Amino acid sequence: MELWGQMLRALVSGLGRRGGTQVWAFSSWQTHLPLAGLLSATEVVSYWTAVFEKRGIPEARASSEYIVAHVLGAKTFQSLRPVLWTQPLTPWQLQHVKELSSRRLRRMPVQYILGEWDFQGLNLKMAPPVFIPRPETEELVEWVLEEVTQRSHVVGARGGPLILEVGCGSGAVSLSLLSQIPQSRVIAVDKGEAAICLTHENAQRLQLQDRIRIIPLDVTLEGSWAHLLPWGPMDLVVSNPPYIFHQDMEQLAPEIRSYEDPAALDGGEEGMDVITHVLALAPWLLKDSGSIFLEVDPRHPELVGSWLQSRPDLSLHLVAVRRDFCGRPRFLHIRRSGLQPGCPTDTWPGH
Amino acid sequence: MNRHLCVWLFRHPSLNGHHQCRIQAHSYQFTQIHLDTRLWGFRQNRNHILHHLLNKNWFRRYCHQDTRMLWKHKALQKYMEGLNKEYQTLDQCLEPLSVTEGDRRSLNRRRAELAPLAAIYQEIKEAEQAIEELESMCKSLNKQDEKQLQELVLEERQTIAQKISMLYRELFQSLVPKEKYDKNDVILEVTSGRTTGGDICQQFTREIFDMYQNYSSYKHWKFELLNYTPADYGGLHHAAARISGDNVYKHLKYEGGIHRVQRIPEVGLSSRMQRIHTGTMSVIVLPQPDEVDVKVDPKDLRIDTFRAKGAGGQHVNTTDSAVRLVHLPTGLVVECQQERSQIKNKEIALRVLRARLYQQIIEKDKCQQQSARKLQVGTRAQSERIRTYNFTQDRVTDHRIAYEVRDIKEFLCGEKCLDQLIQTLLQSADEEAITEFLDENLKSAK
Repeated sequence: MELWGQMLRALVSGLGRRGGTQVWAFSSWQTHLPLAGLLSATEVVSYWTAVFEKRGIPEARASSEYIVAHVLGAKTFQSLRPVLWTQPLTPWQLQHVKELSSRRLRRMPVQYILGEWDFQGLNLKMAPPVFIPRPETEELVEWVLEEVTQRSHVVGARGGPLILEVGCGSGAVSLSLLSQIPQSRVIAVDKGEAAICLTHENAQRLQLQDRIRIIPLDVTLEGSWAHLLPWGPMDLVVSNPPYIFHQDMEQLAPEIRSYEDPAALDGGEEGMDVITHVLALAPWLLKDSGSIFLEVDPRHPELVGSWLQSRPDLSLHLVAVRRDFCGRPRFLHIRRSGLQPGCPTDTWPGH
Repeated sequence: MNRHLCVWLFRHPSLNGHHQCRIQAHSYQFTQIHLDTRLWGFRQNRNHILHHLLNKNWFRRYCHQDTRMLWKHKALQKYMEGLNKEYQTLDQCLEPLSVTEGDRRSLNRRRAELAPLAAIYQEIKEAEQAIEELESMCKSLNKQDEKQLQELVLEERQTIAQKISMLYRELFQSLVPKEKYDKNDVILEVTSGRTTGGDICQQFTREIFDMYQNYSSYKHWKFELLNYTPADYGGLHHAAARISGDNVYKHLKYEGGIHRVQRIPEVGLSSRMQRIHTGTMSVIVLPQPDEVDVKVDPKDLRIDTFRAKGAGGQHVNTTDSAVRLVHLPTGLVVECQQERSQIKNKEIALRVLRARLYQQIIEKDKCQQQSARKLQVGTRAQSERIRTYNFTQDRVTDHRIAYEVRDIKEFLCGEKCLDQLIQTLLQSADEEAITEFLDENLKSAK
């Protein structure tokens, strides 16, 4: 709460300055700036990098570069027009950088500070406490895209697939799938109100609102799947459910612990709480030989495999595990093998 | 003007004789040919001095004025005569019904190939014939009272000269062997050289990189920064950009090489002592391949990111999206941190990697294809010194065609000055290619 107060004050002081009335009226962080004179972008980056390093802020240089680039209207410092590297910042820009950097000093994630981030080439609005998409999840989307294009060769293109995403957060997964699979439709559910709002907003921003249905729903509640039945059988279920083991939650960095919604992270004792719910509801909603794609913890492929074996009633089979860019087993492809046993399983080639 | 010319032609009925009615019918075009051929006469003296055109240095100054000088090259005439003869015999061959269907098809194809060349050749021949007629006409045109007419003739000279050279350009365009990669987009990389004399290399590297960025916007190309490693004091160590648009590789392919700078540093002891330093930077221009041209096996790649340690996934929230690709078989390394999205950075890095691999393929290709050809411009390696920017003398010199430009500042703007040089280079390279091609033709004909 205190933080919000400070942010608000920073904003107010920013507005005041734009009006030209109280240039340095609010300056509790004034001490950080050595001189308000002619500082180039590179120098400002170095300056704040040093400040961050001294205060033990992780990714000091990257944070500083993103903030300065953002204030100068670019996405990354690398993509900033080289001319702007050496040009001095205006007092307003310097102040803006200072305000944003002060949030970083309070360990706010850069994505929340900038209020936006990119995922799969889409620019998405980010707002606390909605979960910030991680780069691994971009690979989850890649895998789904690969499989969809492969399958459309087999089936022949007659309309796009219907996809269910459980736990949509900012909408990153749903919207990137929609933007890359023509004629696809998505049902996105999340139990967090903030997430539902943000997904709505991002869908509007990207002009994808016509093909997405955003539904507030807690899949861990008894019989929740029944609410989704009217939307018809799904071709795919995609999810990046909370999968952190409960006892690991305390070791998370302050950026995550104090800003992101724990409900989007905490997967219970073995990180399986939501995963099992997703798996349990999927057979009700999936078409025959429909697929589930999950992002999980590296310990989960084994756990999920044995859990599925203990639930033959679900007719679900783990067909492939894929590793992330760091080589950790991260993604699962689970297939529904149809009601009748012995159904051919080569529609989805395993990996 | 037309009316004047007609009047003039009427006043010399004896000279024009049978042409007269034609002149009236389509007077403008025809008189143009006539006039030009007279001018041709004036110019011939000059031209024959320049007949050492096939020497390596013939380009100096005159090179882009007179593509028609090449026309005087015996080999070209012989080659064109040969083609023309072939074209005419093809016509005869096709007439009788005795030709089989398959033959007819291949003959037709060859005929279609030759038709435009033969047409241009015909036009040029006609013009040449007209020269001879007009030359004799010219002799009778020395009296005082015809001075006005002579002036008219001179006035017309400019436009007609252009038209004739158009014909030649057209002919050359059809003769020059087409370069396979001309239409491709490129990846342009600049790297500053190392000198002991301060930071002039890095400053110069930035200026050159800016020049190509400006040139891209001058040509309405898209310029995407891929990598930018600055040096102190506003200098540049290394940078790469992707340039896409119309015929980008065609225009930039001769920019690759070592660019040399001579200037007095702006700071330090040398600055105070007004000592001139020499530095270098290198430009590499890689044609951007299509997806299909270069396949990269994922197994051959090592991908380094800044998240290699820890649990990853939901456990961490990092923003550093930089990606480094290592191509294991070749050891090539590509880095990218242009985007916030890591997967996009990977895509870009992969594109750059493909371009580099493509370059290796092309170079191998070229070595095999043209081992016999030693074009000055065309086949030099990208490690040769191509141009010097002498700031103290305010002069840019291209060493391949001995071309000089004054006003470095204007040149570095990357607009008209640079474009002119590039056009000249292209033309020189074309002419070299033709000469080479004709020489080979002559040899094989003997």
